[in-house]
Amino acid sequence: MATRKKVLLKVIILGDSSVGKTSLMNQYVNKRFSNQYKATIGADFLTKEVVVDDRVVTMQIWDTAGQERFQSLGVAFYRGADCCVLVFDTTAPNTFKNLDSWRDEFLIQASPRNPEHFPFVVLGNKIDLENRAVSSKRAQQWCQSKNDIPYFETSAKEGINVDLAFQTIAKNALAQETEDMETGGFPNITLNPEPNTRQNQNDCSC
Amino acid sequence: MVIKYLKSIQTAVMYMWTTSATTGSSQKTNNSNAQSPTQLDEQDKLLSDALGIVRNQAILMKRNLDKSRLMDGLKCASTMLGELRTSLLSPKSYYELYMAVTDELRFLEIHLLDEFQKGHKVTDLYELVQYAGNIVPRLYLLITVGLVYIKSNPATKKSILKDLVEMCRGVQNPLRGLFLRNYLLTLRNILPDVPVGRDTDDCGNVHDSIDFILTNFAEMNKLWVRMQHQGHSSEKGRREKEREELKILVGTNLVRLSQLESVSLEIYQKIILPSILEQVVSCRDAIAQEYLMECIIQVFPDEFHLQTLDPFLKSCAQLQPGVDVKTIIIGLIDRLALFHQRNEKSIQDESAEILSEIELFNVFSVQVANIVQIRTDMPLEDTISLQAALVNLAQKVYPDKIDYVDKVLETTTQILENLNMNNIAHNLPVNVELSKLLRVCIDFYNNVLTILELKCFPKLFQRFDYKSRKSLSLYLVMNILDNETFIPTDEQCDSVLEMLSPLIKNQEDQPEEALDPDDFAEEQGVVGRFIHLLKSDHLDMQYKILQSARKHFAAGGSQRIKHVLPSLVFQAFQLAYMYKAASNDDENWDKKCQKIIQFCHSTITSIAKAELPDLALRLFLQADQCRGVVTCASLFWSGKKDNEEMRDEKRTLECLKKGARIVQQCLDVNVQVQLYVELLNSYLYYFERGNSQITISMLNQLIGKINEELPNLEKSEETKQIEKHFNNTLAHIKSRIETNDLEVSFAGITI
Repeated sequence: MATRKKVLLKVIILGDSSVGKTSLMNQYVNKRFSNQYKATIGADFLTKEVVVDDRVVTMQIWDTAGQERFQSLGVAFYRGADCCVLVFDTTAPNTFKNLDSWRDEFLIQASPRNPEHFPFVVLGNKIDLENRAVSSKRAQQWCQSKNDIPYFETSAKEGINVDLAFQTIAKNALAQETEDMETGGFPNITLNPEPNTRQNQNDCSC
Repeated sequence: MVIKYLKSIQTAVMYMWTTSATTGSSQKTNNSNAQSPTQLDEQDKLLSDALGIVRNQAILMKRNLDKSRLMDGLKCASTMLGELRTSLLSPKSYYELYMAVTDELRFLEIHLLDEFQKGHKVTDLYELVQYAGNIVPRLYLLITVGLVYIKSNPATKKSILKDLVEMCRGVQNPLRGLFLRNYLLTLRNILPDVPVGRDTDDCGNVHDSIDFILTNFAEMNKLWVRMQHQGHSSEKGRREKEREELKILVGTNLVRLSQLESVSLEIYQKIILPSILEQVVSCRDAIAQEYLMECIIQVFPDEFHLQTLDPFLKSCAQLQPGVDVKTIIIGLIDRLALFHQRNEKSIQDESAEILSEIELFNVFSVQVANIVQIRTDMPLEDTISLQAALVNLAQKVYPDKIDYVDKVLETTTQILENLNMNNIAHNLPVNVELSKLLRVCIDFYNNVLTILELKCFPKLFQRFDYKSRKSLSLYLVMNILDNETFIPTDEQCDSVLEMLSPLIKNQEDQPEEALDPDDFAEEQGVVGRFIHLLKSDHLDMQYKILQSARKHFAAGGSQRIKHVLPSLVFQAFQLAYMYKAASNDDENWDKKCQKIIQFCHSTITSIAKAELPDLALRLFLQADQCRGVVTCASLFWSGKKDNEEMRDEKRTLECLKKGARIVQQCLDVNVQVQLYVELLNSYLYYFERGNSQITISMLNQLIGKINEELPNLEKSEETKQIEKHFNNTLAHIKSRIETNDLEVSFAGITI
């Protein structure tokens, strides 16, 4: 929106556990990589300012737990996402197979306005490893079949394609955000309901 | 505190706050939270109402901010935040509301940051927001503003962080307090993360962050534990469910600690872990303990765990009764085993070294033993699954050290021994865990010969009831078949068959009822297939193996023998062929073959004795053939042609001669002699009836042969019978010789 100088984009990273979601985010935001494995519990975000099409935008990147048992409070953080990044491990075929369910889960829980055209980006991570098990072709085919999702092969460890991928993510998120603003950014403005119609005189102050 | 020295209070502002910000929409009656369907609808409605207000206030806030009306913007933010004062929402609904609100707060944060960067004077902001009428909105605003403050003036970092973490004590309602402090943890980006001595001004170093997070952690844990004790006892179940849902908020503190890059192993060992463990153990709350211990394992790196196993495991021993210590330890073991595997692949210099230095297995077995001893309330099945986890560790990290696994099995046997547990019923939970333990061993090695090296495996095996022993035996034999494991010595054969005993012979504790015939046949078929894997490259050893096997199988009873002994006979025949093929290398090959054929014979005899004559007959080929042709002889003699007996002397004799040739080939001496006697009788029969082709010398030859062989037979009931039959025959001949008035002369027969 022209009136607001800065745009805040919300990006969600999903995928099975230990495919490298946290590492990708850390590589992108902090330019760091660690071999140590720490599981993510719940959801956590980092922010980064980026320039997209000459606009400064703040990207809020949500890193999530791949293991469902760590989402004890549910996935309310999906809501309001402008782009969803699906990550799999190119050396672990199962993590690729599960992309379908991650995508479905996201569309159900986040219920974006236009699910058909909601921007996803797929990252095949860990291409620095030798024991590759999911071919580029196979991944690309899947992405094509899902309304041409952009696909990148990355290595969070070596920093390969990470910036490039996030540039696309930011760009697509911005397009989504702008569309959202135009189609329904100001819903439900009702003029009458004064918040103080409800009683709260007996409140304690906490 | 920062607030204390920023004293420019503006009464006008204060007035503004008190008139609007207290008018939040939340109703705070302490009704119980929603559970039943109608109440669930109510939850949805409450939530959507609150979300609607948040949305509207957020839009207003942004508009005000865009138009640089800061105070109005803050007021909207405060009203929006007022929604978080509710007590009516369940944790999950509250979380949704919290997400919606904090998403909007981010816009405020960006706006304020922007203002700061532009050089607008906002020094009073931190103080200003403190006049928000209610503590919940006030603290959320303070945190947001504090963040902006710190970002634009890092020198205030240390004091503001301290300030904020203290002020949050103002909210003591568990749900609201937990979420507020979770918001405080979103200050992640600005937590000082430089080692001691590298900090400049008052920006703080990593220790300030550690203090900040540990304080917040302790406070959150207290709030979380307190939930357990609030409200009516009838709602305990619901409360515990809600606590389960909220655990992630408390765990986020540990995540923050793990994210600090300046935390060295030393800091973790000396400060972080001891403080966390102290908090965990002293809170004496089972739910908190179970979760936080697991959380430690998950969020901190394996490199740290490896160096702190002792304190961690010692704390496990001190947790409340009812805490599932087993799952915690298994989680840790699984992770470290995985870590080891990862590092093995990628030859990870440093960590591989650490791993080789630490005697993982010993540390765990000592500590697990300690835990088992201290935690007397732990169910036996949990103790057993801990042992299984130790086996898993030993196998993954030290695949060559079979003695480690054996040690665990020994400990397990000892535990059962101490409890005097025998004949462990298949439906007991402990049986399930024990079976898993043994199956893990079978699956891991995929080689029964390695299993035999585990001295305690059979001991443990013997502790099961019949049903479990049998199903384990079947599991083992299937594993042998799947992997085509050859059993190359008689001793190994003996041991394996001892273990497979429930499939091989009746057991003392076997129930009366008969097994389904199809199941039984299938099971015995499997055993039959197994016999073909009893195989050594050395022929003499092979013979020993077969002998050892027969000892076991012969005790199987008629029902089993039918299925398994034929396999053994065929194995033996095969061995005879192999000796024959190797006849150039072994001068005794023929004697050995003879022994083998005797082996076959006696095996077949066992089958016959088991009242399975059909089967035995088929195997008794030679005897069968011999008697067959002798019967044919009678066809040529008394068979009728044109209503007259044929009396074909030549053909009759040919049949008898053929019978004699077959008897000659027969390698079982017992049978041979018996058949000779029978044959003698047949010769005599036709001789007496005037078959002129049969000569005295033929009879003498036969008698001579029998006289020669008979003394060599082992004394047995069977031999006696043969002797008796022979003597009767001789007596008959004698009487014929003495009666001289017959058509046929018996003269010249030597008795």
